[in-house]
Amino acid sequence: MMHIGLSLTPFGHYPTAWRAKDGQLDALDFSHMAAQVKQAEAGGLDFVLLADSFGQRPHDDLSPLAVPFEPTMLVSALATATRRIGLIATAATHQHEPYNLARRFASLDLIGDGRTGWNVIGSGDPERDREYLAVVSGLWDSWEDDAFVYDKAQGRFFEPDKMHVLNHKGAHFAVRGPLNVNPSPQGRPVISHVLTPGTLDIAARADVVFLPETTPDTWKALAASLVEHLAALGRQRQDVRLLANIVPSISTAADIADQMQEQAKAAGLDGFVLLPPSAPEGVASFVDEVVPELRRRGVFRHAYDATTLRGHLDLPRPARLERAS
Amino acid sequence: MSADQMKLGAFLMAGGHHIAAWRHPDAHADAGVDISHFIQLAQTAERAKFDMIFIEDAAAIRERNPEIASQAARSTSFEPLSLLAALAVNTSHIGLVATASTTYNEPYGLARTFAALDQLSGGRAGWNLVTSASDLEAENFVSSGLRPHGQRYERAEEFAEAATAVWDSVDDGAYILDAERDIYADPAKLHPVDHRGTHFIVTGVLDSRRSPQGRPLMVQAGASDVGKDLAARTADVVFSAAQTMGEAQAFYADVKARLAKFGRQADDLKIMPGVSPIVGETESEARAKYDALQELIPDQVGVALLASYLSLKDLSAHPLDGPLPDMPQTDGIQSRQQLIIDLGRRENLSIRQLARHFAGARGHWQLIGTPVQIADALEERFRCKAADGFNVMPPLFPTGLDDFVRLVVPELQRRGLFRTEYEGRTLRENLGVRTPARSSSAERTA
Ligand SMILES: Cc1cc2nc3c(=O)[nH]c(=O)nc-3n(C[C@H](O)[C@H](O)[C@H](O)COP(=O)(O)O)c2cc1C
Repeated sequence: MMHIGLSLTPFGHYPTAWRAKDGQLDALDFSHMAAQVKQAEAGGLDFVLLADSFGQRPHDDLSPLAVPFEPTMLVSALATATRRIGLIATAATHQHEPYNLARRFASLDLIGDGRTGWNVIGSGDPERDREYLAVVSGLWDSWEDDAFVYDKAQGRFFEPDKMHVLNHKGAHFAVRGPLNVNPSPQGRPVISHVLTPGTLDIAARADVVFLPETTPDTWKALAASLVEHLAALGRQRQDVRLLANIVPSISTAADIADQMQEQAKAAGLDGFVLLPPSAPEGVASFVDEVVPELRRRGVFRHAYDATTLRGHLDLPRPARLERAS
Repeated sequence: MSADQMKLGAFLMAGGHHIAAWRHPDAHADAGVDISHFIQLAQTAERAKFDMIFIEDAAAIRERNPEIASQAARSTSFEPLSLLAALAVNTSHIGLVATASTTYNEPYGLARTFAALDQLSGGRAGWNLVTSASDLEAENFVSSGLRPHGQRYERAEEFAEAATAVWDSVDDGAYILDAERDIYADPAKLHPVDHRGTHFIVTGVLDSRRSPQGRPLMVQAGASDVGKDLAARTADVVFSAAQTMGEAQAFYADVKARLAKFGRQADDLKIMPGVSPIVGETESEARAKYDALQELIPDQVGVALLASYLSLKDLSAHPLDGPLPDMPQTDGIQSRQQLIIDLGRRENLSIRQLARHFAGARGHWQLIGTPVQIADALEERFRCKAADGFNVMPPLFPTGLDDFVRLVVPELQRRGLFRTEYEGRTLRENLGVRTPARSSSAERTA
């Protein structure tokens, strides 16, 4: 089965797409973003991905190729407007303290009932990012799944021996823990990353890996390096979902479905991230035309059979951090 | 008209403000992880025309001892900003005030996050600026321990200035989406920040449209001299914890008097002390509700809380039914410490009795009575320049808020003391505080 996500933008992925919406400022409103996500949910897509250009954009470029305001806040609002679809927000490791980031995403995952993902942007310092990811995962494992017993009669809110203090002291971070948010309904939020030759280290720790926009041959090479890095961590290719971008241009649904199936086979992909040239039209036509075609071919789900993002992606609950005690 | 009316905030917390609320039969024990519980509370407060809901914050658990922590419900909660983003799209008029620390955040990131809350809510966001005084928080961020009070406030002051500059970097109407001229955002209405201070370098423009209320509302709850000065300089609303009329009036006069120093008027800032109301149709019903909650306080939890209010590490070596031990009267002795010691002596209370007394409302003003009695007390403080409004802290959710909304709000409305309809759409409009135009910094950069 293919996994398909939607990269969410107000106007679409062609840099000039907004020009078709002359003066239509309400495209930047929550209700318009939510309408696209509901459409993607109606099509049974695995997730929407919210990019974030903060930190990269020049001073005065307000290009509309990312969501129109801070993505974790949008994810939270979208969580109450949808029921099943996964919601992945981008956040950079150099723009949040690890405790704050772990907490924000843990909170989102409670609000969305296990549908949240964190798309990691690294700091450029692999050693720091490795430590950062270890701290975040460690914080997410602060509470065992059955720690909260809510025993009113005995006056016991949680079992104290099921709370774990991290006590991390590393080269870059000192974080005591525990996280002050309950454990995730899906074990931990999903981690995704856009693979580049310089960030294989982050990708090897992710659940979902996005391939950059290049040729299938480059994809293959990158995927091979990824497998090596996974192996070094005791992980395997099937432990991650490998997705590439698909830009459905003006052609028939059958052509697009052919293209997706061929590319998936040639490069060993698990699925795609949809970059509609224009939105919301491109989302609607994909859901109304391409999704039924993929279903007819038996390569895409007819309805959600899971409730969490990990479930949609067919990823197991993560093993918990091993503990000395 | 609105100067004659009080402002009301609903201070939300999972099971309730009473330390043992979660054990009460009316409490949903897992309320802290239930977003629909919070949506329901926010909608209840909105139906009653509250100005705002308020969410407190600490970036850590609140009790170091796991055994004691495990007997209370306060170790985990939603993170406030993500919680309010979810509430924003499930409400339409009520203000949404989240607490966030200037000690463990960065100005651009926090400013854009509050700006996002303002976009989601149509101009109903507020920021309770805190400097985070707990060691447990410091230990989640730095190895060097809690920074001194003065340093935290220096950083806070610069932080507020930088965040304001970020909010002011985009004018109203900057996004034009003019296809013909190929102009997405009008460069003349963008004013990239160039803040180079002692603590931060902040550059760039805000990544969203200007707030529908100009800027998010600024809230502060400082009690120290520097804290009150920062409030007088930057805040639109001040929260406080005052027990007696005298304390409340003194605080009110003090903070309002500081405004002139910063070129502001008394009306520019609203003072809203906390109040924990326990409402009954009769006085004895209210008293019974209070007693039922007090019975549920685990001794260890109450005593640990009492010890923390007394700035003591531990009180557990002393008999629960005996008096407070003698304490060294250091110069650091705080007013709350003295208040507890005096009360214990005056009324001859045991450690257990004192613990229960203070654990209940966690040091805030507690009112137990009928709707008329509670309205009388609120009216008196409002009329006697002790408060512009109140931050209502129901001991128990949802029933404590329901009681207040069903019984006390109509009584206040009947007296003309509280609105029956929202005046506007944004938080600033409803509170009656200024909507800042992007003028000060425009003049600066022009
Ligand atoms: C109603 C109220 C709510 C508060 N909420 C918080 C909070 O959520 N987080 C926090 O760190 N401090 C909170 N505080 C503490 C104040 O921000 C402030 O630090 C405290 O009153 C001491 O004043 P000072 O900082 O000037 O010394 C609160 C205080 C009050 C009165």
